[in-house]
Amino acid sequence: MKTPFTSTKAAIADRKWFVVDLEDVSLGRAASKIAHVLRGKHKASFTPHLDDGDFIIAINVGKIKLTGNKADDKKYYRHTGHPGGLKFKTAGQILTQDSDRLLRLAVKGMLPSGPLGRAQLKKLKSFDGGAHPHAAQQPIALDLSTVLATST
Amino acid sequence: MPRVKRGFKARRRHNRILKLAKGYRGSHSRLFRSAKEAVEKALCYAFRDRRAKKRAFRRLWIIRINAAARLHGLTYSRFVNGLDKAGILLDRRVLAELAIHDPSAFGAVVQVARTAL
Repeated sequence: MKTPFTSTKAAIADRKWFVVDLEDVSLGRAASKIAHVLRGKHKASFTPHLDDGDFIIAINVGKIKLTGNKADDKKYYRHTGHPGGLKFKTAGQILTQDSDRLLRLAVKGMLPSGPLGRAQLKKLKSFDGGAHPHAAQQPIALDLSTVLATST
Repeated sequence: MPRVKRGFKARRRHNRILKLAKGYRGSHSRLFRSAKEAVEKALCYAFRDRRAKKRAFRRLWIIRINAAARLHGLTYSRFVNGLDKAGILLDRRVLAELAIHDPSAFGAVVQVARTAL
């Protein structure tokens, strides 16, 4: 008996769209669950080399929660390439300026690095407020607390 | 004693290696010296990976069973514990196959495991 792999076509056709509301959800907890769904590890037909995870539309990303002092103390560094060019922004600054980037950075770190991971990250659509333009995909509301739940 | 020529044996030996090296990049498929090294290494990898394959598949089955079991409200760990207590000897390969192609049968197995917990 051979271990079945879903074919590329079937896997792509089987992808669903979910809406998650991130208001008052902490960043890392949300990101790990979003990454889980984007990779498709919640499906019995999970196939590691295929992009068979579902799409996630994240709304209210601007209202995501940073616990403790992370809004001021957690720094995201980058280097411009010039001498003395190490710059940083705090998590709080990124959240107010570009909340999409904050979530994206967190999720990206939890996905495989490489072409597959980049394709999976593209299935995450995030929006600062409560509105999104993906009504045509008929997304279903998803409660993140049910993803990876240890008991029900 | 008859005269023995070396070239015949050497050609046979070289061709045997070069045949195994078909499709390798650049000199690895064309020159005997680099082809020999590449083939020896490749056979080592093949030997190792025939064993690693069994572990890789077991890991995949466990991921799939975990996903399917969670749909029924049990984690993989609890599910396997329940199977053990219920005396069910289905292996992970069969369980993963059931989870994909016969979800209702898989659900029944989870139910049995749950009651045994």
